[in-house]
Amino acid sequence: MEFPAALFPCYFGAGPPREEGGPPLAAGWGEHGQVLEGSPGPGRPQAQPAFVPCRGGTGETWDPAEAAAVPVLPPSAGRWIPSPAPQDILYRNSVCRKLRAGRRGATLDFAKQLGHFFVDHPEDAFGSMGRLLHKNFYLGNSKLKRPARSSTIRMTALMKDIDRLEAWRSVCCHVPCPAQLWEAPLSPHLTLSVPSRGCHRQHLASRLRWFSHLCRDWLFEVPLGLLADCLHEELLLQWSDLLFDDRLTGGALAWLPPSNVGSCTGCLVYPGGQAMNHLFFQDMVLEELPRPRGSPSQFELSGRIRQVAAARVDGEDFVGVRSDYHCGVWRVPGRTGTAPAPLQVIRTDVPASCLTVSPHLPGELTVCTQSGTVYLWSVETGLQQLRHDPQTMFFRDHSLWRWSDFTAHPRVLSCADRTGLQCLDARAPKKCHFDLFKVGEEAGCQQGERVVLPMYLGRAHPSQHLVTTQFSTYMLDERLPLVPVLKWAHMMQAPPLFAQLMPGDPGRTHKVLLGASRTQELLLLQYRGERWSSRRGSQLACQLAGAPLKLHSIAGCLQHLPTQLPHRHHLLQQRLGAPAAGLAAALQEDRTCETMLVFQLSEAGDVFCQRLTHEAAHPPAPTSRDEAPTAPGSSPLFEAPASSPPTPAVPSPAAALRYHRWLRALFRGCREHPQHSLPPSLSQRRLFTRKELEGPTGPTALQRQVRQWLRQVMREGGHIQRWEPLALQPPALSQPPEPEGGLDLLSTRLTAAWSGDWEQWWEDRTSFSVAQRQRALRERRQRQKRARGRRSLSASFTSSLTYQSELSELSDAGPPLLSPERPHVLSQEGSPPAGSPLASPALDEVLLSSQSLRCRGIPKERRKTLRDYLSVWAEAPPEPPELPGSQASQLCIPSSQSQLSSASQTRRKRPRMGF
Amino acid sequence: SSHEHKLNFKKSKEACLSYIQDAMLQKQWKRAAEFLTFYVESLEKDYSREPIGPSEMIWRIGTEILCHHPHSNMKEFNCFIEQMKTLGVKRYLKVCLEHVFHLLCNGQIDEAYQNLSLAESWRFGEQTAIQDKEMKLIQAYRALLDYYSWSKQKNILSEHGKCLDGFADLSVEQEMHSYFRKAAVNLKEIIKIPGVWDLFVKCYVDLLEFYGDHNEACQVLNEYAYNSKFPANPNAHVYLYQFLKRQGESKKSLISALKILHDIVPSHELMIDFNTMLQKSKKRKKRRLGLEVIFAALDYAGWKENVKAWSCLARQVKQIVISEKHLDWIKQEWNSRKDWWPAFHFSRYLAKRNWQENKSLSYEKALVAGILLGKDCKYFKYVSHQGCKAQVKKFRMLKKFVNRHNPVYLRISG
Repeated sequence: MEFPAALFPCYFGAGPPREEGGPPLAAGWGEHGQVLEGSPGPGRPQAQPAFVPCRGGTGETWDPAEAAAVPVLPPSAGRWIPSPAPQDILYRNSVCRKLRAGRRGATLDFAKQLGHFFVDHPEDAFGSMGRLLHKNFYLGNSKLKRPARSSTIRMTALMKDIDRLEAWRSVCCHVPCPAQLWEAPLSPHLTLSVPSRGCHRQHLASRLRWFSHLCRDWLFEVPLGLLADCLHEELLLQWSDLLFDDRLTGGALAWLPPSNVGSCTGCLVYPGGQAMNHLFFQDMVLEELPRPRGSPSQFELSGRIRQVAAARVDGEDFVGVRSDYHCGVWRVPGRTGTAPAPLQVIRTDVPASCLTVSPHLPGELTVCTQSGTVYLWSVETGLQQLRHDPQTMFFRDHSLWRWSDFTAHPRVLSCADRTGLQCLDARAPKKCHFDLFKVGEEAGCQQGERVVLPMYLGRAHPSQHLVTTQFSTYMLDERLPLVPVLKWAHMMQAPPLFAQLMPGDPGRTHKVLLGASRTQELLLLQYRGERWSSRRGSQLACQLAGAPLKLHSIAGCLQHLPTQLPHRHHLLQQRLGAPAAGLAAALQEDRTCETMLVFQLSEAGDVFCQRLTHEAAHPPAPTSRDEAPTAPGSSPLFEAPASSPPTPAVPSPAAALRYHRWLRALFRGCREHPQHSLPPSLSQRRLFTRKELEGPTGPTALQRQVRQWLRQVMREGGHIQRWEPLALQPPALSQPPEPEGGLDLLSTRLTAAWSGDWEQWWEDRTSFSVAQRQRALRERRQRQKRARGRRSLSASFTSSLTYQSELSELSDAGPPLLSPERPHVLSQEGSPPAGSPLASPALDEVLLSSQSLRCRGIPKERRKTLRDYLSVWAEAPPEPPELPGSQASQLCIPSSQSQLSSASQTRRKRPRMGF
Repeated sequence: SSHEHKLNFKKSKEACLSYIQDAMLQKQWKRAAEFLTFYVESLEKDYSREPIGPSEMIWRIGTEILCHHPHSNMKEFNCFIEQMKTLGVKRYLKVCLEHVFHLLCNGQIDEAYQNLSLAESWRFGEQTAIQDKEMKLIQAYRALLDYYSWSKQKNILSEHGKCLDGFADLSVEQEMHSYFRKAAVNLKEIIKIPGVWDLFVKCYVDLLEFYGDHNEACQVLNEYAYNSKFPANPNAHVYLYQFLKRQGESKKSLISALKILHDIVPSHELMIDFNTMLQKSKKRKKRRLGLEVIFAALDYAGWKENVKAWSCLARQVKQIVISEKHLDWIKQEWNSRKDWWPAFHFSRYLAKRNWQENKSLSYEKALVAGILLGKDCKYFKYVSHQGCKAQVKKFRMLKKFVNRHNPVYLRISG
């Protein structure tokens, strides 16, 4: 714990930050910062001084052991409701643009939200007013009579107008400007958003405008102005939360390491449940992939859990839990198997923004609220207010966020807001305090930089603190306030809200994990700083060691999951892309290797884990001077394959199994509550009895036969060229045969488009179709001529109604028979003309089967005559089919034969055709 | 369409940069290097007004890649940096400085010196404030290297002085003096500017002391320690204290130097020296201060297991108890700590752990606990019980001592 004998040189200036600049894109790379004389290495001559850099020294090598993060716990039961997305709050057009522009440029979709309010809470909005007015609002469709018309409005007409307007608006290309929407937000349907310029539906709108003008002042239950104010405030709040939600600061995940050295059972503390208001303590066994052991202890709390903080004092873990208005503390005894015990709960009037647990004294915590109050909370003595200041410390900032943490002195606390950190003595908070960190020239900050997360690094070094801003990470030493001992631009896209420290043994690096919420980024940093047990004389100033390492995000595992149906894929995407809500890490040492386990919690309540393995130091690469000169122009940088061990490309079998199980549980959970998401529906069974729903009398003989036949063919492995029963019926012909052999229109078109000569195809097609149509017309005329006689005959049978219904049933029963997707089966020349309405194909088939003839009440003797008659004219030579030869042999079935062999017995005997 | 082209160009530039960034963060240096070759195109149409332009990015990213790439070598690195130096005037000094750092860290002191001299002679129009600072740093680092050359010559001379004499010595001595002059001028310059200049101050004071300019050295150190424009750097006070000690200054001035260090950093490791110095003093006030100092030091988590500090406290407390004078000193110190020291230092858990890990620490702590908290204190009870069980004489004496002086506890706590 000695102070370093010499610090890295740096300039020191006071005042506001001078450096301008936005988010530094690559600012963290390529700098050594400063150098300092260090102890000469073993290989160096003593005479020469050796230098160590502030940044860019060598660190340890940690490699991801898995291709992606792996779920450690089954997905939380209950559906997760995603938090609002920008498109819910903003105008659709402006979403992309405005997200980049940030807070100032955003246009909130106020009218839509107000509309939602009216729809979701109509009772609140219009309840009693509606009851008062119901006499004057007529909801029927009929016209109003004279006396009533003077005092009653026909609402249906108004609604129709609105619908028409809506329909027109959805077609209309230009979107109303917000000012117009602001003007008359009456109800979801009454938002009069008629663009003033060039509107040709003005007359429609005028009536609505008249109505809204009349009602705008008094129609609402809640005064509109008040409601609008509240809503607008809420919208702004939601929007700022969406940009940056600081309530999650600190993270709601904690890892309680095993209490004794040899054990590998730790405890994971995390929130769960639909409202994230259940606290779970789950024992975890650290293996290759950590797995839960036993069921978790569970506590139901009365608010959404924002933060879970933990510290170990005297062998016992103390877990602090923060929700907006309540904070609680639990004690987890060191022995495994003992249940965690809740100790105390406090309630705050203003939302709490911070809760940290003392690493020094058991049962001591600090709490900050958004009103700018800092408390020291001891389970034994209660709350002690240390500071109350609604203003920020060093300059004015609108943020209400406050934070506090412990320092090397158990009675001195650090207090932070967006502008910096101060330390104050709990014994005399008014008098004894000093500035630890200031956003300003002292730390070389940029303009607009703000403190995002401070953390006490006591487990690595008793007097060091980490301060992260949206741009940089600073390492501070209490003994040298205001001057960061280390500064590094972290280059993360979103500000880091979570941080975890993994202290290293003497001679090793300390590891810090930074995690962002919205982007789920995770960054592993290493630094060297002397530890209290270090040998005398070897203390060196804090240095960043090695390059930072980006770890897997939860969303990154999506590409390793099995392919899903589109809607499930979307669901997964949404679920896995949920903002991160917590971070925890554990170092574990085996006999052979050292592993780091990083747990990440998402807002959906999922806990994912990834494992990193430490690669023991390998011999340093040969130094530059030994290497042979390379030829000019050729660089060795791109030639030889890199030797760095790559991240595995695919998940291991164990991980794949985890994914599988997790997905199964997730989708099972989703299926359980379909009624939440779908519009209310009635089951058929409630409307109809089972009998009513059932088909007439099971499958008909025809169906049965076809099924049997199908089964047989499937057994034989053959295929059905055409349905044999079809032979009985003159099949439908609604379209002329395709010119291309066998291929349907779409396939040929697609084939043509694929090969690139689609235009050619189209021209062929059009010219062909002209000829075809002409031919078809000619044929039809001829057929009509022939059919005239038959039609008159068959018309004599179509007298009874039962016949009609039976007919439709029959034709319904055999959809494959009429399926238009089988043109080659249906393309039958010589069938009755398609144009005639009565002689539909099914009809003919039905007519000819003796069964149907019988049930029409036609006597046996006449049946025969009829059949003979029909066969005679059907045998008349058909039009020569204009089919390509190869197809013609298959397609042109002697229909006369099939039509004649009507009895079912003969049908069976007949050899199958077309094979 | 030129606007569109610009937009597309910007987009692809950003995409390329994000690929590079991604590869670097996953330590795929080879992939990053390949992407960087594409990114170089962005230099062609550099319309950006961003604070970090493409040329700076290429410098930063390229440097980082070359530092980590498995096939990079120093020659390639130097070549790359030389190109980067010509890429931007504003950044020239910064790139030079970073190049020098890289050379220094790789042990190429002479090359670094050459680069520093070259950068020092660079002139381009009017310098901005930042460039001015960078130039000062370059000069300071060159002076630092001059200082190292000087001390090398000094060592040669001192070795020679033992065995040889003659012309060789004279030339060496002249060379040494010239190094001194070069180093002193620039070192003196930089330490005037507010900042943390531990390395430079140490070297400068060493030079001055060698040539016997103690007044100047003292002034420099005082300025470094007490100028309010400088940050409250504990090392400044430590250097001053060490200097005073080397000069054989009086106890009084040493104590006053350490008193200020105590006020700034009560947890500094020199507080043990300070305490022993004060304890030996004949003045009551100083001994009182010594007690304060050691109590304050033990407040800090970093001192929790420091045997030396505990033995200092134990010795002084024992003295006071035996003499039965100034028990009120202990009482006053204890008053502000009695609500949290027992849990912080004297819990049963700690008693067990201290006993297992460090017996002498547990002995010292048990003595203090026995006096401050009485013989029924958990810590004392556990340790003395264990000690007696282990038949260590020291612990039996401890038990007797505490039992005999138990009334003291009542007076302190009362």
